[in-house]
Amino acid sequence: MRKVAVVGTGLGKWGVRSATLKELAQEAGKALFDDVEGLPREEVDSLLVGCALAERLAFQSYVAPLVAEQLGINPTRMLARTELACVSGQSALKMAYMAIATGLSDIALVMGLEKMNTPDMSETQTSMACVLDREWEGVNGMTAPPYFAMVAQRHMHEYGTTQEQMAMVSVKNHRFSATNPYAHFPKEVSMNRVLNSPSISPPLNLLDCSGITDGAAAVLLTHGDAAKEMTDTPVFIEGLGQAATGNLTANLPSLTSWPTMRRAVRDALKMAGATIHDMDLAELHDCFTISEIIEYEELGLAEKGKGGRFIEEGQSDIGGKLPINTRGGLLGCGHPLGATGVAQVVEVVQQFKAQVPSQRYVGGEWGLCHNLSGNANNHGVVVLRRGS
Amino acid sequence: MGEEKGVRRVPYLLDFYPLQGEEHTRIHPFFTHLTEGRLTTTRCKACGEVLWQPRVVCPHCNGEEMDWIDLPQEGELHAFTSVTVGAPMGMEDDLPFVVGIVKLRGTGLKVLARIDGASYEDLSIGQAVRLKVQPLEDGRVWFRFQV
Ligand SMILES: [Zn+2]
Repeated sequence: MRKVAVVGTGLGKWGVRSATLKELAQEAGKALFDDVEGLPREEVDSLLVGCALAERLAFQSYVAPLVAEQLGINPTRMLARTELACVSGQSALKMAYMAIATGLSDIALVMGLEKMNTPDMSETQTSMACVLDREWEGVNGMTAPPYFAMVAQRHMHEYGTTQEQMAMVSVKNHRFSATNPYAHFPKEVSMNRVLNSPSISPPLNLLDCSGITDGAAAVLLTHGDAAKEMTDTPVFIEGLGQAATGNLTANLPSLTSWPTMRRAVRDALKMAGATIHDMDLAELHDCFTISEIIEYEELGLAEKGKGGRFIEEGQSDIGGKLPINTRGGLLGCGHPLGATGVAQVVEVVQQFKAQVPSQRYVGGEWGLCHNLSGNANNHGVVVLRRGS
Repeated sequence: MGEEKGVRRVPYLLDFYPLQGEEHTRIHPFFTHLTEGRLTTTRCKACGEVLWQPRVVCPHCNGEEMDWIDLPQEGELHAFTSVTVGAPMGMEDDLPFVVGIVKLRGTGLKVLARIDGASYEDLSIGQAVRLKVQPLEDGRVWFRFQV
């Protein structure tokens, strides 16, 4: 097996964009090819595209060749699209990793993208409601916000987590996204504003929720030997983990414990030969404020039920135990489903290359990205290490 | 209302409700039972596991022979919330509405459903609820729970 490195990154502007799915792909592609200046497009032999809901939100199938055309590349080894709702992008990265590690591909481009804003928001909501089992759960009006609202309700009930603690996650992540010009919400928010933002699904308010966002992100992967010729700072993919259970919300053994996340984290760290305490930063899937709080616990950073205390003590901020979501997270950047998993990796790589603004610069050597989907039944983890 | 029974009112890909007739699904007895006021599911004849949702193959033992069994019609709220904005199509007029996970009495089984008969503010975890059969305008049927 060959070592696999990220050697280039590209982001487009995220938000409610006056741009189509194809145009989002072009923008992130341009940013990527600008970053790896001098790379002939013919050398990109594979393209993996993470995109969750193109059929529903952009009335478009066969997305991978569509993106290849936008980027001007003609894959000769692998061309595929991955769909795994909010983990679509990280899944594309994993496929590219396997292709390069096995020698099937030498240079692979990974793009995550999603066009989520449509002229009819209720049609968008309808499409989002088919991520859960549409016939048995979506049919009841269940989408992500009410699901995670029940998660928050149970966490508050079982462990005494407070709405203020949840709001602190939003305040922190918006403080980071305020430094990120690509973010959907590049503005700080106060505790008061989060706590008094309109209710979406109680106890979750608007600013407890990630946005409905258009966006794309891209990374370029190659094998170990080539990586050192392409960049001074290759960032190696050292560990991968994934675990999932069931699908029907009603059948989940617990709303507040995510054993599949624990498993994915354990496996990815083991593969990397590292521990959580080796990490210099982490990008966690903060689709809702409560998610990040539970993730502190499942990462082993806080005891079960003490995730609220962890944010309260500033442990997930720069200067704390582990800086989390320095790009602004899903709360600050928005959450274009297929793009998020790729953008998390972009942040870690840009941190290691000192390509981020000083207000959020952490740098370091080890980074962890965590991406979840559905009703938090599926979790994926990538562990990255800066090469010298 | 005034339309032919069994005719869908929205395009198929915007229609949330399961197709329920014998020509569409092998678990059609679930819907027939529901019209009779019964909440039922399948139990695997081979291994005895109660399966939710109803299945045609047992995910535990691969058995294909199922018994239909009645589930309790009463339960308590394990978790609930209210959808106040962002309802899918066809549900906008219902806003705000309550959804919850109901733990069925005397079983380990939970089901997710709309909760009628109370607003979010009036509810708490553990609230008793009971089955409510909801006829759809096109002749199909669905289930909710009510306080
Ligand atoms: Zn069985």
